[in-house]
Order: sequence, then structure tokens, then C-alpha cells
Amino acid sequence: MIMDFIDGPFWYFSLIVFFSGIIWNMGSIVFALSKVDLSVSRGSAVSGAIKTIFTRFAADKGMAPHIRLQIIAGYMFHLGLFALLFFAAPHILFLEEHFLGFGWTPMPHWAFIIASEFAFLGLLILWLHRILNPVSRLISTADDHIASILTFVVMLTGCLALLESFTALRLLHRFSVELFLIYFPFSRLMHAFTFIPSRAFTGAWFGRRGISS
Amino acid sequence: MSKCTWIFFRQVYFFISLLIFLCLLLAVDATASEPATSKVNSPGSELWMNVRKNMATGKVTSQVKSVDSNVLINSYAQRWTQFRMTQLINYGLIVLLAVFSIIFLFYVIRGRVKLSGGLSGHMVHRFTDYERVLHWVLAIVFLFLATTGLILLFGRPIFIPLLGHEIFSVFASASKEGHNLFGPIFLVSLILMLFSFVRRNIYARGDLTWLLRGGGIIGKSHVTGGFFNMGEKTWYWIVILIGLAISASGLILVSPNLGQSRIIMELSHVIHSIGAIILIAVSMGHMYLGTKGTEGTLESMKTGYVDIKWAEEHHDRWAKECHDNNRLISAEDYAKLQGKIIQNAKVSNAMEENK
Repeated sequence: MIMDFIDGPFWYFSLIVFFSGIIWNMGSIVFALSKVDLSVSRGSAVSGAIKTIFTRFAADKGMAPHIRLQIIAGYMFHLGLFALLFFAAPHILFLEEHFLGFGWTPMPHWAFIIASEFAFLGLLILWLHRILNPVSRLISTADDHIASILTFVVMLTGCLALLESFTALRLLHRFSVELFLIYFPFSRLMHAFTFIPSRAFTGAWFGRRGISS
Repeated sequence: MSKCTWIFFRQVYFFISLLIFLCLLLAVDATASEPATSKVNSPGSELWMNVRKNMATGKVTSQVKSVDSNVLINSYAQRWTQFRMTQLINYGLIVLLAVFSIIFLFYVIRGRVKLSGGLSGHMVHRFTDYERVLHWVLAIVFLFLATTGLILLFGRPIFIPLLGHEIFSVFASASKEGHNLFGPIFLVSLILMLFSFVRRNIYARGDLTWLLRGGGIIGKSHVTGGFFNMGEKTWYWIVILIGLAISASGLILVSPNLGQSRIIMELSHVIHSIGAIILIAVSMGHMYLGTKGTEGTLESMKTGYVDIKWAEEHHDRWAKECHDNNRLISAEDYAKLQGKIIQNAKVSNAMEENK
């Protein structure tokens, strides 16, 4: 009964919440941009937007020496998670069977292990830094902690089910993914979708005024 | 640690408990419909009896040419199995229970070791953010590996009678995958720990006196100590050396196709298990002394600062250095650094705005 619920109604419910939440959030951002800027342009908004999307991948020169740990751990976690999500064989198979109808070459098992190690270590360091550093702790909210813990649990249950021999472990992973999908649109996890428009908006705003960002 | 952080730890604890409960429910649900299997006598028993008989005379060979390919029956493995089932599991359990009992008794008899003059409120910086993050990464990964490792080691005598074969098999599979995956993270953290702390953990003059007086337990006079005392230095080297042995043997076990023989695998397992039991047993003492056992110690790994009275009592030579270099900060400055005063100011500002 629990199995049927997790594989069936709860899965579809989480997908509906996830996709409708994403569309709602992204739609709100797009409609918020409809105001016309009447000021005289002093530079290109488009080139400013494109430039900022890429320059923001590197930390500010003044800040970088003080946040080395966060930069390294941040890249470890995000690149590891990206590789796990889109290049792990079980995920590609799942996407092919349930959504896309086509697949692509998965990464080899050793690469999967390395990506997992990077993702786990990176996330652990980031979350511990969040609670141990007084400044990070002060600017963190419950949302940040819940998002970190939920992401960790999704990754952990996925790795515990790696052998693909037990239905219980697969269901546990799917259940944690469903909780994650439901929570996603209401949290800062949305930055996975908003970071590019956000950078582009900032870059365009500065670019149009001829300011280097 | 702030109240907010403890609430999150409670949430994590609740979440993990919920996951374990769900795992149990799902395991029961998933295994309920699986058909029962019946035992059948091996049809090849006579063949294997002849193989064993001819092994001694060297008549048995294999077409496959690789490590141990001519060893069709490994008699040494019988000794290893015997050792694992009768000695390792039993003595391992006894050692862990004994250490736990000793610590508990020590706490009941001696109680918490308090600072003689109480806390002064004046703080001194002890560990950087990086050192504390590294410590907790290693601690969390170690606890995860210890839990999953003990589930695998004590599965047969403890968990199978409690949970049954079907449910335990789910836990065993999850533990094995998790254990193999987190092992390399432990090794990386350990190497980073080695480089970050090694300079302050080299034994120096005065350390032997600390040992002879049992770190202050024997006798009533004060025992002198530097940044790390003899006990802490010894714990550090136990973690590094046994940790490296466990990691190396773990890598041999997790990569069976690197050309190592079966005997190497069996020896690696013995080293891995014995090393892990020693490390878990000693870590119980470290965890006790670092938290409940000694007043003011946990602060150093929570905030990076310790009270100067704590430093004078446990690390007097380092405390003198702090005094000499004028590194003390007041209680108010410490509160500012921890964001406590800012938070209070925020609250009072908000209250005034509401008025």
C-alpha cells in the first residue's frame, strides 16, 4: 500500500507541485521585467547581461581570499550534483523511460563514485560552515538548513539504493525525491532556475548604464 | 551552540528517525510478498570433495591465468571465517561494551570535571573556521562509517535475531553501499587533518609528565600542558595512524580486482575490523571528554573560542602565550563576534519600531 502510494499518487502530486511552482515563479520574474526603461542608454544591456552570466562564476577578487573554502566546496558540490543528476546511469534510464523517450551515454561507475564523493564532501563542508561561522549563521534561515538537509537526504538515499536490489531502498529514495520536489519551488533551491535570469538582469541593468559589473 | 542550531540538530535527528522508521515499514512491505525458498542439497558436493583432495597434491589447475586462479578451495579462508565469527565479533562487542561501561562509571563516580574558579568570560581564539569544519566533517563521516560498519559486523548475532533476515538484508545492503561511498571522504578528511594539525601535535618536553600523572587524575597537583596536551596528541596520532590503516585496508577491500590475493583481502579485513573497533572505542572517550566530561571544552569546536580559565587549567603554557601576546578578548567583544549582540540589537530596534 505504501509502495503503491509512493510510486503512484504521491509521485504525480510532487511533479505537479514542482512544475507548477517553477512555472509560477519564472512567470512572475518574466512579467516583472515588463516595465520599460525610458532612460538614455549608455551601453549595451545584452552584452552586459551575457558578460555577467559568465563573470559571476568567479568570486570577486577582493572577497576570494576570505571565502576560499566556500568557493571550493561550492564548486565540488554543484558540479558533483550536476554530474550525478544528469549522467548517472539509473537517472538517464529513468528519464528515458518516463519523460524523454531517449537517453545519452552515462558516466562510468568510477566517475559516478568520484562525483558522489565531491557532492557529499562539498555539501557537508558548506552546511557545517553555515552553522559554525557566526556571519553565515546569522544570515541563514530555516529554509537554508531544510534545503541543505533535504538535498543531503536525497543524495544519501540514492547512494544507499545503488545496488538496485531492494524495492524498499528504491522507494525510500523516491520518497525523499518527492519531498524535495514539493519543497523546491517554495525555497531558495529555486536558485537552480533563477541564477541565470538573475545574473542577466543585474548585468543588463548595469550594462545599459555603462557600469562594469 | 545557539538554540536555533540545537533545534536544527533535533530536526535532523527527527528526520533520520523518520527515515529509519519508513525504511522499516517499506522493508516489511516489500518483502512480505516475496516467495519462501527451500534448501536443496548441493549436487556438486562430490566434485568439490575430490577437488579438495587433489588440491594438496597440486593436481588441480585452471585454464584461467590470474592471481589465485589455481586455488579452487581456499582453506585459509576457513580460519578467517572462524576468526571473524568466534573471536572478532565476540571480543569486539566485549571491548566496545566495556569501554562504554568504564566511561559511564567514570562519569557516575567523578562527574563532570568543572573549572576550579569557574568561567571568567574572557575568551581566547583557539581554532579557525577551517579547522572546526574539518573536525566536524571527519567526525560526522566517522560516525556514519562506524554505524554502518557495526551494522555489517554485528548483523548476524544482534540484528538478524532482532529484525529478521529480510529486513536486515535491506539495512545490510544500504550500510554496505553507504560505507563504501563514505570511506574515501574519511581518507580525504584524514589527510587534510594530518596537514592542518601535525605541527601542534609533535610530542614535546613535559608531555611525559602529563602521561605519568594520568592527565591530572593521579595526584592533586596541576599538570602542565601546551596547545595540545599529551592525551590530545596521542588521540591525534591514534586517529591518523589507525585511520590510515583502516583507509588503506578499506581501499583494498573495496577494489577486489586490483590483483591482490585472497589472503591479502582476508588480512585487510582483519586489520580493517580490529582498527575500527580500537578507533571506535577510543573515540567514545574523546566524545565524552569533549562534551559532557569537561566543562568548557566543547566551546572550542563550536565557536572556535575558549574561556581563558579553561586554557589556564588544561593548557597553561599556551594560556601564558595568550596572555603574553595580549590575545584575550572581553565577553562583550566575544558576543559581538558571535553575532549575539547584533541579534539583540535587532530585536530591540524592531520592538522600538513597533511602539
